[in-house]
Amino acid sequence: MGGKCPHRKVKKRRFSNKRARRSNFLLKGNDLVFDELKKLTEGEQMKPLPLNEDLPGMGQFYCAHCDRYFADEEVRGEHYRSKRHKKRVKEMNGPSPHRQLDAELAAGMGMPDNGPKLMTMSLSPSLSLPS
Amino acid sequence: MRLEKCWFCSSTVYPGHGIQFVRNDAKIFRFCRSKCHKNFKMKRNPRKVKWTKAFRRLHGKDMTQDSTFEFERKRNRPERYDRNVTMETLKAIKKIDKIRVAREARHHKMRMKGKKGIEQKAAERELEQGISLVKAPLALREESSLTLSKIKVKVSQPQAEYQMEE
Repeated sequence: MGGKCPHRKVKKRRFSNKRARRSNFLLKGNDLVFDELKKLTEGEQMKPLPLNEDLPGMGQFYCAHCDRYFADEEVRGEHYRSKRHKKRVKEMNGPSPHRQLDAELAAGMGMPDNGPKLMTMSLSPSLSLPS
Repeated sequence: MRLEKCWFCSSTVYPGHGIQFVRNDAKIFRFCRSKCHKNFKMKRNPRKVKWTKAFRRLHGKDMTQDSTFEFERKRNRPERYDRNVTMETLKAIKKIDKIRVAREARHHKMRMKGKKGIEQKAAERELEQGISLVKAPLALREESSLTLSKIKVKVSQPQAEYQMEE
């Protein structure tokens, strides 16, 4: 949690509520949400949401597509029916969001070259020995 | 010295230029100028903004697949300095650049192939529809020699279509 203002002279006002609360409402980047959803569709399991009293509804009612927390089941259901959510679902089901790699490929660069794989020479004998 | 590419428009970011944003998961976003940075902050998708390289690639405006793209790439394993190799590389850069420019020019030419005909046709149609603005309809009726040639073209096309339908 942020929100500390150490340079404030007045002790009482050293803690900025606005800054402390801001991180609750910061949204994740598109690429992060996309990766998370991909993991969900592959793994088919969602971790139980941790209780967080700073979030609406103790952080229990979450929309993975929009990266938002809701007060209860009903409000979340309402959100699922909204146009904004549907738009977002459509976007997230589409192609992968733009990343740095896409930017580089578009600039006419090839795929990054990481050189020959390290440790392959030392690994293979050790693997072959026990067998 | 590494020349990075702008996250938004894919142009080269030289050292000392632009700005970079580090997200709280340590991902780095580099921008070549404030224009790109602002567009990023507005959460615009580079694939939907017409002036970015990502858009141009996606919509076939630029070359997409070419063997000259294989040379410039991020090399994450440092290479031992060798004077001869460096000299050869510097020589090759010029040659490859020339080839790429020529191929891009060819691609552009191919892309613009049918453009002149389309423009000509559009202009003809505009003239046909707006001829009354140039010459009053009454004057045209009195002196038909003014637009005779154009009328000929106009009439011949529908006739051909009717024959096809029949």
